[in-house]
Amino acid sequence: MPEKTYLQAISDGLRQEMRRDKRVFVIGEDVGVYGGAFKVTLGFQEEFGSWRVIDAPLSETAIIGGATGAAIMGMRPVAEMQFADFVSCGWDQLVTVAAKQRWRAGTPVPIVLRLPSGGGFSGGPFHSQNPESSFAHIPGLKCVCPATPEDAKGLIVSAIEDPNPVLFFEHKHLYRRIKGEVPDERYTTPIGKARMHREGDDATVVTWGAMVYTADEAAKAVDASIEIVDLRTVLPWDKQAVLGSVRKTSKVLVLHEDTRTGGFGAEIAATIAEEAFEHLDAPVKRLAAPDTPVPFSPALEKAFIPQVDDVARALKELIAY
Amino acid sequence: MASTTAVDVVMPQMGVSVSEGTITKWLKQVGETVEADESLLEISTDKVDTEVPAPATGVVSEILVQEGETVAVGTLLARIGGDGAGGSAPPDEAPAEPATQSAADASAAAATEGEAAPESAEPPAERAEPAPAGNGRAFVSPVVARIAAEHGIDPSQVPGSGSGGRVTKKDILAFVEQGPPEAPQPAAPEPEPVAQPEPAPAEPVARPQPAPAAQPVAAPAAAQVGETLEPMSAMRRGIAEHMRRSLDTSAHVTSAIEVDMSKVVQIREKLKKEYQAAYGVNPTFLAFIARATVETLRDFPWVNGEIRGDQIVTKSFVNLGFAVELADGKGLIVPVVKNAETLNLLGMAKAIADVARRAREKQLTPDDVAGGSFTITNPGGYGTFHGTPIISQPQAAILGTYAVVKRPWVITDENGADAIAIRSIMNLTLTYDHRLVDGAYAGRFLRDLRERLQSWGESDY
Amino acid sequence: MRVVAIARVAEPSGSLQEVKEWGLDREDLLQIYRNMLITRGVEERGHILYRQGKIPGSFYTGRGNEAASVGVATAMAPDDVGTPLHRDMGVHITRGVEPWRIFAQYMGRADGPTRGKDGNVHMADARLGLLAMVSHLPAMLPVAVGCALAFRIREEKRVAVAWFGEGASARGDTHEGMNFAGVRRLPVVFVCDNNQWAYSTPTHLEYAVEHLADRAAAYGFEGVVVDGTDVLAVYREAKRAIEKAREGGGPSLIECQTLRMEGHAVHDDAFYVPKELFERWAERDPVERFRAWLRGNADLTDEEEEQIGSQVKKLLNDALQRAEESPQPDPVTLLDGVYATPEDLDTPHHK
Repeated sequence: MPEKTYLQAISDGLRQEMRRDKRVFVIGEDVGVYGGAFKVTLGFQEEFGSWRVIDAPLSETAIIGGATGAAIMGMRPVAEMQFADFVSCGWDQLVTVAAKQRWRAGTPVPIVLRLPSGGGFSGGPFHSQNPESSFAHIPGLKCVCPATPEDAKGLIVSAIEDPNPVLFFEHKHLYRRIKGEVPDERYTTPIGKARMHREGDDATVVTWGAMVYTADEAAKAVDASIEIVDLRTVLPWDKQAVLGSVRKTSKVLVLHEDTRTGGFGAEIAATIAEEAFEHLDAPVKRLAAPDTPVPFSPALEKAFIPQVDDVARALKELIAY
Repeated sequence: MASTTAVDVVMPQMGVSVSEGTITKWLKQVGETVEADESLLEISTDKVDTEVPAPATGVVSEILVQEGETVAVGTLLARIGGDGAGGSAPPDEAPAEPATQSAADASAAAATEGEAAPESAEPPAERAEPAPAGNGRAFVSPVVARIAAEHGIDPSQVPGSGSGGRVTKKDILAFVEQGPPEAPQPAAPEPEPVAQPEPAPAEPVARPQPAPAAQPVAAPAAAQVGETLEPMSAMRRGIAEHMRRSLDTSAHVTSAIEVDMSKVVQIREKLKKEYQAAYGVNPTFLAFIARATVETLRDFPWVNGEIRGDQIVTKSFVNLGFAVELADGKGLIVPVVKNAETLNLLGMAKAIADVARRAREKQLTPDDVAGGSFTITNPGGYGTFHGTPIISQPQAAILGTYAVVKRPWVITDENGADAIAIRSIMNLTLTYDHRLVDGAYAGRFLRDLRERLQSWGESDY
Repeated sequence: MRVVAIARVAEPSGSLQEVKEWGLDREDLLQIYRNMLITRGVEERGHILYRQGKIPGSFYTGRGNEAASVGVATAMAPDDVGTPLHRDMGVHITRGVEPWRIFAQYMGRADGPTRGKDGNVHMADARLGLLAMVSHLPAMLPVAVGCALAFRIREEKRVAVAWFGEGASARGDTHEGMNFAGVRRLPVVFVCDNNQWAYSTPTHLEYAVEHLADRAAAYGFEGVVVDGTDVLAVYREAKRAIEKAREGGGPSLIECQTLRMEGHAVHDDAFYVPKELFERWAERDPVERFRAWLRGNADLTDEEEEQIGSQVKKLLNDALQRAEESPQPDPVTLLDGVYATPEDLDTPHHK
């Protein structure tokens, strides 16, 4: 099986779908001639033409609103925000219109919104955020956060198939750093189902995105058997998988790169306390970035993003409890 | 169209944030006819002044709110048609102020809760130091509590390897699997009942002293011809451990007494119907006995007591345990009715019924099986008339009840003549720890208990 | 400094002969009249219901906008789509939404188009090419542009019509939507309901140009100002713009000038609008104006008028009764439909 980078997997999945279904089109800033700021759509405009790979004006409202209208008319738009951080410019279209249309008016809005998110390379406050918890709070939306190349391809296909607005958080720091085996043929990865990244008995880490790799490194550094649950989807999240793991190990660390207060880990922690209380052998622990914007300088960014050592320390405390 | 049933006229909501309106003018009076959609009255709200059209054609039969009055949105203002007053259903009044009032209450409540929380906070703070203050062994995590309750294990008996000596899930699971460890238990800061029996004072006893604690038997052997092997369940192992340990701890002595339950039988018959009908509960013999026992324990505190180290503990409360047999001979569990001294006969009957049901339906919580000070068991459920139950540690005694049997009995009438009568007789045994309770003390306890049961009055409860 | 107006000002409606040249015969004209009467009737009826306490929340009307809304909607083809707003009841009526469902919607009943989940005119009928509006205005404008985008990608001869108010034109959605449409020459027609007041804010506090239609040039397309109380003039301009878009000529902006004859919502008595303004525009009431035109140019008879009037009355009475019989929505339906299933994509829109 061929090995592909995380970025390549997304690109291949997207391209395959565009070949397969004429309704699928891409719209965003610099996605056409330039091939996308991160080159995810490199070569797409040459193959599909400028009316299926649309270089939009600098307007998130036009991109998201345009995608919404086109989706209601039967297309399957895959809209791109150049950085996840810019979704706030088009928030209204997404949350006011797209998210509520099905519930209110019976009108589905099958759009995909690709959001290059995450930090770790001095992107600074406006190019490094992980805004998934803001949208996990909006009924009507779905949020996926693949960590592996295989899941990235499977989830972009599932997102396109899904009749709801799906936010696809692709972690920029994984684009070229992570390689994995990715099947050539078309396949889907189910939205809403977690993946057991690592099996263990002594403690569980629940996480997603780039933090899966951080947790993995930390697990190797700890003298205990650590189970890692890669959620893959933040909304709707795989509660059964998480609670099952908690019942098994009775100790859990919820880890995410997003900031702590109101981060999605809070929802997971509260649910574990509510529904698995009698299986807990220690308080539910959370590890996340502190409540600040993302800093620019590497020295500060290292103190911001949870590092392998931070996770290892948290795990050791949890094991010792 | 004229209406025959009254039609309500209500204060409309003129705008989303408007909560009330004032009647400025009634355009029709009681007795006047109005057409549907014709203006009936003028109102003023803080957004707009407007006219309210009548919802139906008919004669204005009542006007309930006068000009100049201000009422909440949805208030019934008048009625059209009908037979006069009181025709239609009461209006659903939209609260004018409660929206803000309840918000104020809620934030006040939240404020006080917020303030109270830090003071009452027991669980460790954010940057969790895993060990709670004080005796680490005393803190039991939810999963350990659940496993302990499921297997009838006292977590304080389990060696802890967690932070501060805490019993971890692994520790208790290991305990369930393998039973108590071979090494002697580590010395605890709080005195626990000691494993070694102390020499008892010289007094004739029915039973010999038990031998020192035996260790659990080693490796399982293969089945011989004609034998079947099955593993012991965790609960069975728990029971085995507890029984052995109890015999090794206390100096078990049993005294027995016969009780004439005829009065109780009589009163019980009378109460049965009333209790079932009014309270849905059976006044069982056990309820009567429990009630009498609790009263008697007041005068004999050591029977409700405990030995801790070399101190005697007496209690102002009676946490009464009832041994309940689980279905299919799976074992037994002893749920506890806390503060039984505060219950009357009815309360006792209800409490017993409740714990028995929950025990059978596996709904007991860890709290339900802990903290007992005295236990009643019923070995006579199948007709036996005598037994020697084992004390539930760390208690000092256990009362056994037996079958109520009709027997010929010698009674003395008021003239002093003896005669034979048929009486309902029940045996009671008190098995007590002779380290604390002497035979005479126990005997007096049983005598007083018998007296109470035999002289139960109709007005006793 | 006064800004010079750029946009063309439309001529008023002409004679029956001219109207025939635009493609309307006498039956069409009577239908337009009927639609305007129904539009007004639905809103007047709803206003009474509201004051009787039968409609929860707030109540908005488009009184004074009947010609603008019916005029544009009449110029749309069956496969065209639109995003009408709360002053555009005439669009829903003209496209064929049944009045009883509108009353049910107002009253939050289970048979309303949103089954009680949204109120006012926040409703849609996919089969009639209408998208449900939201309260954040003009958020539907970029969405309409998106519909036009789909038509363009698929090279279909369909047009999207996007409505917005002169107040909402102050928001970025207007600019971003129009810019995108102009850049890509998308088949969308923008209709501005300029009724001179955004709640209590007059036009000179909303924009600094003479006409909003003047802005069209900034986006690369044509703008036109039309008397919004003249239904035939509105029709003519709308038809022109829609057909132009259909043939690949790109977007247009039509500014319909009217006066909002009632408050922002009916709980607002519009004390801030000078009385003379109301009086002046009352003389140009669109329904009355068209009735007069029909009498003068199309020989509308007393009998016809009487007949149409009583048909409309009966329609509305029956509609009201039917709506009042519709049940309240069952609370268990609250959780339904947050997410779409693949079967939901079988809507007329999505095909």
